[in-house]
Amino acid sequence: MTARDRILSAIRAALPQERPAPDAIAAEAKALLADPDTSRPRLVAEGLVDAFILKAEAIGTTIDRVGGMEAVPDAVRRYLSGYGLSLSLAVEPTPALTALDWTGLDTGTTLAPDQPAALGKALWGIAESGSMIVHSGADTPILLSFLPLHHIVVLQESDILSHLEDYAAQLAERPHPRNAILITGPSGTTDIEGSYVRGAHGPGFLHVILVASTD
Amino acid sequence: MSAPEASVQVSFKNRAKTALADRTLKIAIDRTTGTAEAKRAVAVAAFPEFQDARARGRAIKDHVIAHLDHYLEQFERNATASGAKVHWASDDAEARAIITRICLDAKAKLVTRSKSMLGEEIGLPHALADAGIERVETDLAEHIIQLAGEAPSHIVWPAMHRTREQVAELFKIAHHPPPAADDPATMVQSARRELRAKFLGADIGISGSNFLVADTGATCTVTNEGNAELTTTPPRIHIVTAGIEKIVPTTAHALSLLRLLVRSATGGELTQYTTFHCGPKRPGDADGPEEMHIVLVDNGRTRMLANEFREMLRCIRCGACMNHCVVYRQIGGHAYGGTYPGPMGSVLTPVLNGLAGSRDLPNACTMNGRCAEVCPVEIPIPTLLRAWRIRSWRERLEPGSLRAGIGIWAVLARRPGLYRLASRIGVRAIRLFGKGGWIARLPLAGGWTAHRDLPRPTGRTFMDQYRAQQADKGDRP
Repeated sequence: MTARDRILSAIRAALPQERPAPDAIAAEAKALLADPDTSRPRLVAEGLVDAFILKAEAIGTTIDRVGGMEAVPDAVRRYLSGYGLSLSLAVEPTPALTALDWTGLDTGTTLAPDQPAALGKALWGIAESGSMIVHSGADTPILLSFLPLHHIVVLQESDILSHLEDYAAQLAERPHPRNAILITGPSGTTDIEGSYVRGAHGPGFLHVILVASTD
Repeated sequence: MSAPEASVQVSFKNRAKTALADRTLKIAIDRTTGTAEAKRAVAVAAFPEFQDARARGRAIKDHVIAHLDHYLEQFERNATASGAKVHWASDDAEARAIITRICLDAKAKLVTRSKSMLGEEIGLPHALADAGIERVETDLAEHIIQLAGEAPSHIVWPAMHRTREQVAELFKIAHHPPPAADDPATMVQSARRELRAKFLGADIGISGSNFLVADTGATCTVTNEGNAELTTTPPRIHIVTAGIEKIVPTTAHALSLLRLLVRSATGGELTQYTTFHCGPKRPGDADGPEEMHIVLVDNGRTRMLANEFREMLRCIRCGACMNHCVVYRQIGGHAYGGTYPGPMGSVLTPVLNGLAGSRDLPNACTMNGRCAEVCPVEIPIPTLLRAWRIRSWRERLEPGSLRAGIGIWAVLARRPGLYRLASRIGVRAIRLFGKGGWIARLPLAGGWTAHRDLPRPTGRTFMDQYRAQQADKGDRP
């Protein structure tokens, strides 16, 4: 008897013999999520964008609002100069970013060990929590979100969802990526005496370039 | 000497006594648990729907536990379809053997690990050392206790028993160059520098899992540091260890439970990084491991499913019960002697290590109910601790003198006349030991009088006084 058989038969021995059909179990599971508003936080502002901004800033994310995608390189330059960093960064090789005009900035797709900043694009934002979502893929290396000290993320206002459940619904509609990541603020730790320090292993700075909807 | 070794030789009472005498430990415990309690209270107050979310969280866990076999098989199918290899382990030894075998087959020299209490439960750190594999703990707290050669003292803050000054001592020796100062920010920077090369040079990354998502086959990690993703992305192989009770039906169910988990653990709303890991690197993916292994561990969980401890399988390992426990806050985690300390540990340790060696734990509880009040999935922890006390009595694990004492009391308690007579003699006899209104020393009650005085009885029992009062009332017109 394998460990698998031992475990499954021990479970079956402990549970009632008469068991519902898989469809009935699935229906029961779905019912457990019904009427989500009774047990999730309300948004902190009326609109999705305002709520997202309030939550994101409360957890230490900084935000720069721009009018369109073409304004992203300037916003990046502004951010790097503000911290006195060299105008050099790794840019995620996703078409929405590589198509932009990066003249005057030194961009590559990999992060050199001494390079402090990387730019990526979030698929969605979540107004409930100020989170952003990144999926792994051919043009989205996961390490670009974790290795730099400064993580800059482009997010379109029209991609801001209301609650965590809305993201779960989006994820369920497509093939699950290797990694689906919710990023909620810069890396931090409270492991020494509970006192909060930023930039534990991941980025110490999380900056969002929030792009206004064009329509 | 590390804590688990100590626990084998020394009784709980002696470990607790040592902990109580350690003033530095008390400072360290107060700093972390005090902050945790305050932050949780703020987070719960800001979420008026918390009690409803709690009821829903409990219902989700109960649903999964009632269909555990169905969901495990569904998870296995979907994880396998994603390209992961699923392994099953009945106990800690099987789990260690599976993981060591994967490491040795891959000729791994360096393994990075992202904090997982299950890894501690199955003794993974020792197993890797025995196999000659270098293990680097990447969670900052785990890094600290690895340097100190200790076991975790809390399930969320494993190094909470160490003050910043003590951490600085460890880093000064282990980090090259040593940190320039001993404030937390400088020390965190030092650890970041020290561990960076290890992340990128590891052959295998091992993580735990907060949730196993049945309908996608994904496993979920939550961290604030970002160490889980840095542990699981660069190496060639990612190994996940997970208890079979971690299963949830869908991603939406996991996210619903996350709202409870993070608020209860740290007072945050979500951890900085919540990641669903689904299989190895896909064709064309920019990064990720080539192999993913998931080890599903039973280790007593199916026994709990079959006995009076089933509700404990709802536990999502937030640590709120220990942060709010009056006993834990006096003695800290190591005194409990098991992998899991505090109230939830006192329920789990007898399952994992046997009741005979751990029967003091369910007794080291004041039954004040704080743990059950704050538990995000409504586990009736005091009731479960009482269930262990009942078992301990049935299995005759108490010392003879205690059993004899309770036996005598039981004889009296069943005979009201005799009980009243004995109390009448008792309260008069006890008065003889008093000076003024208080008793400082009393035979057989040293456990009480060692720490505080006992009020001197009035000389008449409650029943005598009650009768006299009722008689007075009867006399009145």
